[in-house]
Amino acid sequence: MEDMNLLFCAVSAAALDICALVLIIASYRERSTGNKQWKKISADMELVEQGFTYHLGCDEILIGRHASADIRLPDISVSRYHAMLTVADGVWTITDIGSKSGVYVNGNLVKSKKLCENDVITLGNRKLTLRKTVNPKKERRKNK
Amino acid sequence: MIKNPFAYLFSCLFVLAAHGTMLINIFYNGKYDDIKDLIILAAAVLGLDISYYIIMLFFKQYTYTIDFMLLLILNMSVIFQSCFGGVSFSAKHYITCIAALTACRFGHMLTCNHNWIQQQKKYVWIGIGVLMIIILIFTGSRSMWINIGSFSIQPSEFMKPLLVLACATSITEQQKKHKVWKFDIVWENIILFGITAAVCLFQWWCRDLGSIPTFAAIYAAGFFLRICYPKAKFSNKTLIIAGSVVLVAAIVGIKIAPEYVKDRLFVDIWSDKDGNGYQQSQALIAIADGGWFGKGPGKGYLHNVFAHESDIVFSSISEEWGLLYAIMMTLVILLIAASPLINPPRSYYHGTMCTGICAAFTVQMALNIFGSCNMIPFTGVTIPFISMGGSSMVTSGFMAGMLVAAQSPVFRKPKKKKSKKPANSSARRRSAA
Amino acid sequence: MKSIRRCQHIITIFLLIFIAGMAALVIKINREAPFYMMNSDHHELGMVYDRNGEVLFDGQGTGQYPDNYFLDVGNLIGDDKGQMENTLVARNIKKLNNYSFSEGLLETGGQAAIYTTLDHYANRAVYDAYAGARGCTVAYNYKTGEILVCASVPSVDVTKGYADIANFESGTLISKAMYGTVPGSTQKVSTVITAMESLGRDRLLAKSYNCVGRYLNANGDYIDCHNVLGHGTLNLQQAVENSCNPYFAQLVSDPDLPLENIIQGYRRMGYAVNDDKEEYFNIDGIICEKASTTLVDKNEFRTQWGCIGQGDTLVSPVQLMMWQSAVANGTGKMTMPHLIDRVFSVHGNITQIAKTKYGDKICSEETAQAVRQILLTNGSNNYSVSIAGYNVGVKSGTAQVKEGAEENSLLVGFLDDARHPIAFCILIENMYSTTVTTEQLATVLLNALCS
Repeated sequence: MEDMNLLFCAVSAAALDICALVLIIASYRERSTGNKQWKKISADMELVEQGFTYHLGCDEILIGRHASADIRLPDISVSRYHAMLTVADGVWTITDIGSKSGVYVNGNLVKSKKLCENDVITLGNRKLTLRKTVNPKKERRKNK
Repeated sequence: MIKNPFAYLFSCLFVLAAHGTMLINIFYNGKYDDIKDLIILAAAVLGLDISYYIIMLFFKQYTYTIDFMLLLILNMSVIFQSCFGGVSFSAKHYITCIAALTACRFGHMLTCNHNWIQQQKKYVWIGIGVLMIIILIFTGSRSMWINIGSFSIQPSEFMKPLLVLACATSITEQQKKHKVWKFDIVWENIILFGITAAVCLFQWWCRDLGSIPTFAAIYAAGFFLRICYPKAKFSNKTLIIAGSVVLVAAIVGIKIAPEYVKDRLFVDIWSDKDGNGYQQSQALIAIADGGWFGKGPGKGYLHNVFAHESDIVFSSISEEWGLLYAIMMTLVILLIAASPLINPPRSYYHGTMCTGICAAFTVQMALNIFGSCNMIPFTGVTIPFISMGGSSMVTSGFMAGMLVAAQSPVFRKPKKKKSKKPANSSARRRSAA
Repeated sequence: MKSIRRCQHIITIFLLIFIAGMAALVIKINREAPFYMMNSDHHELGMVYDRNGEVLFDGQGTGQYPDNYFLDVGNLIGDDKGQMENTLVARNIKKLNNYSFSEGLLETGGQAAIYTTLDHYANRAVYDAYAGARGCTVAYNYKTGEILVCASVPSVDVTKGYADIANFESGTLISKAMYGTVPGSTQKVSTVITAMESLGRDRLLAKSYNCVGRYLNANGDYIDCHNVLGHGTLNLQQAVENSCNPYFAQLVSDPDLPLENIIQGYRRMGYAVNDDKEEYFNIDGIICEKASTTLVDKNEFRTQWGCIGQGDTLVSPVQLMMWQSAVANGTGKMTMPHLIDRVFSVHGNITQIAKTKYGDKICSEETAQAVRQILLTNGSNNYSVSIAGYNVGVKSGTAQVKEGAEENSLLVGFLDDARHPIAFCILIENMYSTTVTTEQLATVLLNALCS
């Protein structure tokens, strides 16, 4: 009887463990689904600056010199909190949040502007380009 | 459901398997007078599993794992609650579990669009105020329960998700600063502080001291995620120093606290094990008696002790199912709270919301489990999803729904609904397909 | 992004703190589970044995034993029924319980056991020798601290239950050796030790006082001697042998011996003097009362009477016995008594082995050896007939209790024998109601232990 008790306890505990594990694995599977979904929502864009690429992973992106900014541009010409990128319905918008040197899109000083692909954003001395995400793997495949 | 068919199929099967093995365990080891009781329980649990799988097919979400986890833990709790001191189906708990699942769906629907819910913040504030007034008027004589017939509702529970919503914020909100005499002030933060202080004072007045740490933790998480955006430098060093100052102050405060406060904080339960320490000492004895693998479902003794199904539920489960199982149960709840780590939210608002929910869940569990095991002062706080109690179950379900929302968000600007809706919804349809 | 990652960090912190708490909880429960089970109403206790392997307590109640087999140790070993709290079993349920967290409470096959240092044969012999008298006897090995005999009469056979508890005599359910009693003249040993520590051996030995049957102190109160004719002029050795009250009253009021020194000396020996906090020591969990007395003014009756061992002074027999060990060892250090020799866990592993421990030094070696010689001389001069065949150092005492209505007889001492280093304290209550004497009991005790 004692052995039976132990056995079934162990079995049910193991079943719970495996179930939790399966759910974690399923959650990881969903993560890739979520990423794909996000690409659709965010129009699959990224910011590029002279070889550096900044991934745009959420719908509000703070650009500035401050350490807490999502995209940090350590340049004295950039304000601590310079501009904010937001996305809605697959369209990215840049908004000036009280910067000193202003936000320029394709050379025009703007307060807030919707962005198109390959727009160049100038913050102080830094120039950033918004473009479709380039997937290195796909690139390689194309080259082959 | 359609995106990852195999993952979901396996999830469905293993959730069923987990419940099935529990039921088999009861069948062989449990204490029941009539096999009918067990059959009713099994039918109810497995029936709920399967019907929820079917219902879930009608909801288009990106992620379903939290739903599965929720179903897993809720039906586990139905089995636990039905077994205390002999198997008999706990219909009351079953109904509250269904209510919790429904609340989860509501939670998801309400909060999946963060832009929309953010605009409703005023109503959240008003909601908290209304709840406080309701408690003031209806509970009477400074208690925390409203009795309607045989039901009793604990309105303060409903304040938890509202406070989480009030604490959640977007970065844009944090940038709306107003200059008031040299200081940049975000009005929302001031209002939030006022609300939290009011809620805590109110709980104090209601003698529901046990809930204050939960509210404080939700606020602390929210506060921390807000002060990251001041204009001046606010380095980690400063934060660590501030944290340690608070810690030292707390320790000094405990040291110099008056005697009667100390008595409440440090109760020697063993010298008073038939009086004030009765519940806790019995709870600890029950855990010790259960050992790693428990005495067997229904064979416990603790069901004779007051609040065995809510305040000291961890010990009741430990006694009958074993400490190992009880710990794994808490791990499943932790998994629910930890899901934003695997599948990150896509907006700061949802991120702060998840943090607040995680704070609420872990603090409530900690207060309950560690309190009943005499590691910290004992308070009558419930474990989310496990403890018997309608208000707590519904609230926890709602908060789980908010976590689902953070992982399956809808990005839509409510103002531009009309013009953009067709394009967007078609995009969503495409993505779901 | 950074902002989302920040949220995740905070979630991680919350989860980690909780998991750390859970880990602490598991460790705590694992460590303290036997203690929790001790407080449960449900036990599966193991066996308690004496030093020769005889059963003193049967936790399972399965063995067959002769009638009243456990009577002599009933109020010392006790049981888990809750009627007696200050007993070996009640205080050590945690060690005796057949419980481990991983296996739970074992109804069969548990091997938890306590081997005590008691000698059941000697204990029974002493218990039987009381033959209707009341009192207690405690004896231990003053080299190792093993308690060999601890009998308290009357006692209870735990196998017979407590249905008749209303008719139990008072004192049945306690081991009297652990509780304070009026020490009578055995207190004079303490006073001699204290005086010798203060004055030095030679000065004290040189002092002599005159006894005329009673002594009128400076406050105008009389200290009576049991010899109404008086002992004449006495030195210390004669005073101890005659147990002369006027000698000790005059010693206490001697201007060479300040009261402060007496109080300090008593405190070193473990007395709670005047308003000192009452303290306890424990013998393997069994609580034992410490000595207490009142010393206010050296010319006052109450103080002098206290130093002679009457009035407010209370000492437990165990402590009287422990002081004898300090004297008998000649080191001035008390040997701390213990009752548990070794403890076996539920799996049969030894979890505790007794070690000899020594208490604080109560006097210098010189004092201890001088007092030892005084007691040995007393033994050979006055007890060589009544405790025949043993070279003992003893001091007797007669204590007035119940405001003089009854007198208790006490005998403390030690056996000067390297093979049997035994210190003992024997108490007979209401000595005039019985023909048994402390010397007879001492003979029975030593015969049983030295055979």
